[in-house]
This record gives sequence, C-alpha cells and structure tokens, in this order.
Amino acid sequence: MFTSSERRTPMKTLTEQDRRTAALLARRRRRIQILLCQLLCFVVLIGLWQWQTETGHISAFLYGSPSGILAALIAAIRDGSVWTDLATTALETLAGFALGNIIGTTLGLSLWYSRFVSQVLQPFILALGSIPIIALAPITIIWFGTGFASKVAMSTLSVVVVSIIIAYKGAMGVDPDQINLMLSLRASRAKIFRLIVIPASMTDIFAGLKLTVGFALVGAIVGEFMSSTNGLGHEIFKAGSLYAISAVFAELVVTVILALVLSSIVTRVERWLLPWRHDLS
Amino acid sequence: MGRPDTPLQALDLGKAFLTDTGEELEIIRSVSFALERGEIVSLVGPSGCGKTTLLNLLCRLIEPSQGAVLWNGRESDGVPPGVGYMLQKDLLLPWRSAIQNVMLGLQVRGGATSEHRARARELLDQLGLGAFADHYPSTLSGGMRQRVALARTLAPEPEVLLFDEPFSALDFQTKILIERDTLRLVRDMQRSLLLITHDVEEAVSLSDRVIVLSRRPSSIVSEHRIELSGDRSNLIALRESEGFAHYVRKIWTELDVH
Repeated sequence: MFTSSERRTPMKTLTEQDRRTAALLARRRRRIQILLCQLLCFVVLIGLWQWQTETGHISAFLYGSPSGILAALIAAIRDGSVWTDLATTALETLAGFALGNIIGTTLGLSLWYSRFVSQVLQPFILALGSIPIIALAPITIIWFGTGFASKVAMSTLSVVVVSIIIAYKGAMGVDPDQINLMLSLRASRAKIFRLIVIPASMTDIFAGLKLTVGFALVGAIVGEFMSSTNGLGHEIFKAGSLYAISAVFAELVVTVILALVLSSIVTRVERWLLPWRHDLS
Repeated sequence: MGRPDTPLQALDLGKAFLTDTGEELEIIRSVSFALERGEIVSLVGPSGCGKTTLLNLLCRLIEPSQGAVLWNGRESDGVPPGVGYMLQKDLLLPWRSAIQNVMLGLQVRGGATSEHRARARELLDQLGLGAFADHYPSTLSGGMRQRVALARTLAPEPEVLLFDEPFSALDFQTKILIERDTLRLVRDMQRSLLLITHDVEEAVSLSDRVIVLSRRPSSIVSEHRIELSGDRSNLIALRESEGFAHYVRKIWTELDVH
C-alpha cells in the first residue's frame, strides 16, 4: 500500500537523480556565495579601519587598529597569558552554566508537580528575574570572596532565573490531551513526569541552554570586572584602564571565539541527544 | 441498577461547569446508556454538544455533577483499569519511534520490555506498519500516524475502547481502511467500543447501536439498533446496502442541524 512511490522506471529514476544533484549543486553554490560575501564584508571593514588609522584619520590610540590587535594577540599567545586567561574564564563560565541550569531546570520542571506552589512562587521568580545581575556583583564578592567562587556565583545567577522560567514554561506547555491519555492509562504523576513532561520539555530546555551559555559568559566577565587576578574580563578591564585599546579588542576576539565554541558545543549535544528533531539537520 | 456483566453504564449522567463569572454552564443534562460486552455503540451529536466532556466523564478524568458511571457494575474510584482512549489527535510522542509509541501503555503498566516490544511489533504488523516500526512520527503520514495511535490504544488489551472522533481528520480512503482494521481488531479481540463522532455515515456503518444526542445541554434524543444485510466488514458496500440510507436520513433529521 505504501510502495507505490517505489515503482518507478529506471529511466525516470535517472532524471530524478539528475534533478536532485542539480538542486544540491545550486544549494552549495549559494552557500559559497554567502560565505564569499561575508568574507568580503570582513576584509573591507578591517581594511578600511587599518587604512584610516595608518593615514591618521582615526586615532589608533583611541580606537585601536587591526595590526595592533594582531600584535597584542600574538604577544598574549607568546607569553602564554591568553591560555591561562581563557582557561580561567571558560572554567568559570562552564561551572556557572552547569550549576545555573541544573538548579534552574530542576526547579522549573518540578514546579509542574504543584500548580499551587508554582502560582505562589511566580511573583518571586519574576522579581528575581528583573534584578540586573550586575547589581548583585558587590554582594557576591562579600559572600563568596574575590576568587573563583564569586565569578561562578555571578555566572550562575545570570543563568538560573532564565533557566527556571524556560523549564517551567516547557513543562506547562505539555498538551493536556497528552496528560489525559497518560491518566487514562492510569499512569502515576511520577510516570507522567518521567515519560512525558521531561522529554517534552527538552526542546525548550535546549533553547534555554543556547541562550544561557551567553549569559553565563557575561556573568563570569562581570564578576572578573569587579575583582580578579586573571581571566579574559580581568585583561579587558586592565587593558581598558591603561588605554591599551588594541589589547582590549584582542581579548574581545578571544572572548567571542570562546562564546562561539561554547554555543556550538550545546548545538552539537542537542543534535546528539534529540535525534528525532529532524528540522535541526 | 449496576449490572456486573455490563462493561460500561452511564446513569443519569450530567455535567455543569462554573464559568469565571460565576454562572453555571450546563454541558450535559442527563445521559443514560449501557455498553455491552463485544458491542460497538456510537454517540452522534451536533458539534459542540459536549461529546468530549462525556467521554472524559466516562473514563473518570472529570467528576460528574450528577449521576454515576458504572464499570462492570461498580462505581470506579478514579480512572478504571482497561480503558483504551483515542482522540482525533494521534498524540504520538515525537521523540519516540513508532514501536516505542505503541509500547507506551504497556510501559506504564510495567513488566518486561522484550514482551512489550514483541506485542507492539505484532500489532504494527497487523496494521501493515511493520516496516515503519523504527520511524519517528514526523516521518509518517497522517493515516500511518493514526494507525500507530490505534496500535498504542490496543496494545494493553483494554476491555473498553473510548474513541473520540479518531478518524475525522483523515481523508475518505484512509478513513475507510483504518475503520476496517479497527472493526476487525475490535471484533477479533471481543472488545467493546464506544465511538463518539459527528459523522453519521461512519456511526451507522460501524455500529451495532447509534445513540443520538441533542445539542447542548445534551440528553439522548433517540437510539437505533443498526441491522443491515450483507457483510458488515465491507464498509463501502454497506453504504449501498438496503436500509443504510434510511438510517442515515433518520439520524440526520433527529440531529436537527440547520
């Protein structure tokens, strides 16, 4: 009954194949075009910047220059400081990201268990969510000291509320008919939670992870701004205070690379854990 | 009143909801009927007559405002065992393959996974979906998805099947095929089926009895025992048979659809 589409003549299969190959080629050509345009934009912008600073129209002292940034990067790589700073910030970010999301997702999902508790807690969660995290920085230093812990705390705080809200929304977004189906099978609440609510929330939770990986990095860097001895945020703050603008940009480049790497890891993990989500590929 | 040999009885069942403005909204006024063992009964009514509310009352997902639901002659505390619940939406879990979806009810009940898998495989084969066991729902057609939902419903061998317009979203041809399979499996397994539908032809062609509901607040308008000559499993020929049009016309008139 379902095999009618397989009954094709070899001739037709061949042309079908050709058509598909042509479509794939067109798609690849378009991807290359986009890539070339992106590269062109980058080169033109950097070129203009370099040219303007060399001719003196733009002050390299105030705005930095591409060659200066490159020199600062090479110097940081040569003396090895970039690796320790990168490792410090990456570790703080990952710790805050993991801690914030584990706490947030667990809380958010478990709010599904009691509508009453979730309604009671709603204004508190919203109030916490509206606090600008940077305003908490002085307190975290008092509570957690000036070391690693206070950066992880800042990073965790940046993540946790968003994570709670997203996980809760995901859990409450489960189709009530789906719940009824499980109830008709006489499933316990624990089984509904495990078999339906958790997996159904995964799409939202991963959207949250992609969002909060950036927040975690912001939290860690803000923490480093307040007080630190190393880390990318520390270097940016220090270089900025010394008017070493090219060095600031060099550290920013490293920060952007770190952010991209972290979010691509999350995307990869999602593809690996949620293979049923075909629209991702 | 409670008959232990009757799988499902509704006695003067009624339901009213309280709206946010404090008004009583009466959905079902009074409905009484029985579903006997091995019987297929359809409830037809105009749209918005509270058919889904009635279904949820019957399987005790919501509490009635009046009357009682008896399962095998007894009032059940919570959802009774042996209910197969199927809706228009297939409610397949997108993260589970077809066979894993079929295993859901068995998994809730507990026991060995290997047995669940064997049972699910058997049902999928019977419904012509053996080759699609490991496919995710998103890669299946609407008809195939509803077949998987049917297999999921039948897998735990429920005594009573409660179907809420499960075939109404399908095209005619797919619908006839899946109806035929449903009929075959329900008859083979000696199950009782209560089918809620607004499709009069579907009700007449599949059922032993058709109960007609009024518009909201619903009560029973009439009841018809469907007696048709010829092969009851040939759902197309049945539509041409003597008496079919008569039943359909009569029920249509009683539905009072303008």
